[in-house]
Amino acid sequence: MSQTRSVSTGISAVMAAALVAVTAWTGGAAAQDKPFAGQRLSVLMVGHPTTDAVRKALPDFTAATGIEVDLEVVPEADSVPKMMLEFSAGSGRYDVVEASSIHIKGFVGADYIVPLDDFATKYAAFYDKADFVPSYLTPNIVDDKLYGLPLFGESSFLMYRKDLFEQYGIAVPKTFDDIEAAARTVKEKSNGEIVGITMRGQQGIQGVYIWASYLWGMGGSFLTDDGKSALDTPEAAKALDTFARVLRDYGPVGVANMGWEENRLLFQQGKAAMTLDATVNGAFNEDPSVSTVVGKVGYAPVPVQTANAKGGSSSLAVFNLNVAKASQQQEAAWLFVSWATSKQQQIHSLDTDPNSGVTSLAAMDSEAFNKRYGTFKEAMLASLANGNPQYIPTVPQANELVNNTGIAVSKVLAGTASAADALKEANELNNAALTR
Amino acid sequence: MHPISRNPTRLFYQPVIGFLALAAFALLGYALWLCLHNIYLMGTKGTQFVGLQNFVRLATDWRGLQALWRTALFVALATSAEVVLGIAIALFLDKEFRGKKLVRAVILVPMIMTPVIAGLTWRFLFNAQSGMINYWLSTVGIAPVDWLGNPNVALYAVLVADIWQWTPFVVLLAMATLETIPKDLVEAARMDGASEIRVIWHVILPMLRRTLAVAALIRAIDSVKAFDLFYIMTKGGPALSTETQNLYGYTVAFTNFDISYAMTIALFLTIVTNIALLLLNRFAMPKGVR
Repeated sequence: MSQTRSVSTGISAVMAAALVAVTAWTGGAAAQDKPFAGQRLSVLMVGHPTTDAVRKALPDFTAATGIEVDLEVVPEADSVPKMMLEFSAGSGRYDVVEASSIHIKGFVGADYIVPLDDFATKYAAFYDKADFVPSYLTPNIVDDKLYGLPLFGESSFLMYRKDLFEQYGIAVPKTFDDIEAAARTVKEKSNGEIVGITMRGQQGIQGVYIWASYLWGMGGSFLTDDGKSALDTPEAAKALDTFARVLRDYGPVGVANMGWEENRLLFQQGKAAMTLDATVNGAFNEDPSVSTVVGKVGYAPVPVQTANAKGGSSSLAVFNLNVAKASQQQEAAWLFVSWATSKQQQIHSLDTDPNSGVTSLAAMDSEAFNKRYGTFKEAMLASLANGNPQYIPTVPQANELVNNTGIAVSKVLAGTASAADALKEANELNNAALTR
Repeated sequence: MHPISRNPTRLFYQPVIGFLALAAFALLGYALWLCLHNIYLMGTKGTQFVGLQNFVRLATDWRGLQALWRTALFVALATSAEVVLGIAIALFLDKEFRGKKLVRAVILVPMIMTPVIAGLTWRFLFNAQSGMINYWLSTVGIAPVDWLGNPNVALYAVLVADIWQWTPFVVLLAMATLETIPKDLVEAARMDGASEIRVIWHVILPMLRRTLAVAALIRAIDSVKAFDLFYIMTKGGPALSTETQNLYGYTVAFTNFDISYAMTIALFLTIVTNIALLLLNRFAMPKGVR
């Protein structure tokens, strides 16, 4: 026994000596700069221009920190199940994950991700809190602790064809009634050639994401102040009625199965006079290689019907980088998170990819940003300022609430149920989910 | 005599069978354990034993029951259409003609195609605004049909895609069997003056019966599990009109993260499927296949 100990002590002594020698040889300072050199991070991200830009710049990160990164990129819908399975198993398979801010509270509640404040004070080389758009950073703060940094964000706005509006003498809509009237005028005056308005109607998050504008703008909300479902209100029913009616009467054929892509293409091809969608669509409308309506599109805030709205009618979608609780390399993971969201990287991303969703104020003020996205920058900033962080509920059961609500939206859009009935059913299901 | 010398091959297959059985029972046991608890990945209450609560919930879950009915409808329609079309095409191709090999290769293309690609292709074909199908209809003066956005039509649109993809499987099996049918038998029937329809009905089809029963069984099992086409083409919408039990289970597991209830749905579907297929096996299969 004692012999074993003396052997191990001997080994330790040799190792310590070797370490001193190596440190002396590399000059010490390098080890200070790159304390995590040689670590290998596993990162799960969502397919998006921002992610492409991060991937292209990974060699810079490795050069600066000595940390290697294995990046796995999957579509948004698949990313959450993937990380949830690893999180719940506590596997540590991913050190860093990218997730929408609607999941943050759930992740914190289930103890899947770690607070980053200590790392932020200790390793602040890339981190500048003041440079983030405040409304993008806020969802990452739970109980005064920082749980992630925003990688990209977007809001929603109303896009309309300036040329058609001028031709038919239509003013920019300020309420949902204005939208309906404008859509009717377009359909009538173009003899049905041009669709009045196109929006996403596919069952699930697609339809709910857009309908939520109507819900908030009509004075409704998903949840009451005490955390119960609030979908069985007259405001919600009116919002769903109006949404479904304008799409059925003046929308495109096939709207009940239209997702982001179909909707965007229809508008880009000049077949519709209006659409209400994410601000990132602006980048596609103004890109001559994919759009026939470059320079013809006007951008305006999402309409509001009532003066007593409980929250903004434009969305605030933020995708953040979070560090997994089960990660064995949380410091290195933090360095990656702060580097990928740093202003240097975000400004750089504008040169490599169509990244209109930057979260850095410096990047938004940069020349590259103004040159590319100047046409809709102001409308986007206005939408952001009114962007509603609770636009889609952020409770842990958010996904299930969206699923139930999506069925109601789809039923009314397809004409198989009345708004009041469909929402009453969704309301019961949501309340059941909320107590689970 | 020593048992090993009586049947030495058992040393090769018994461990394998034993291992497979062990894996099957371990998984089944774990599945049952999941069903009797309330595992919810987004919850903070921890895991409790809940007895049969998940099964009671399923029995009163209107959405789940409708999904089960839709699954049954889809399986019945898809399987019967694929078998009937498959035989028809195989009989049509059962002649010697130039380019037969090429035709056979082309027929296999849908089956080889990844379901995701097939789903996307059909999704674009069925697109109400700019899809090819509505364009062709418009050339003969038919108004655009809302294939995937109309809850009364969407399930049948997915069905068309499924039939397109999997009929070749039946064709393939039927053609292989047709080639083994002795030609003189068919010739003899013709010599005796039987019409072509009688030849097919009384001579060829009875010989195809086993093959078709097996093909139908395999297609039925696959249709119960159909997922990719639904996921790509409609995601269960509009208005739940294309949500099968399988898709519902997926949503409960990977959207709601209600793992225990999802497992209950999956287990229930497995049991129902097994019973249905045993009945099919018992009553529809010719003796000798069983």
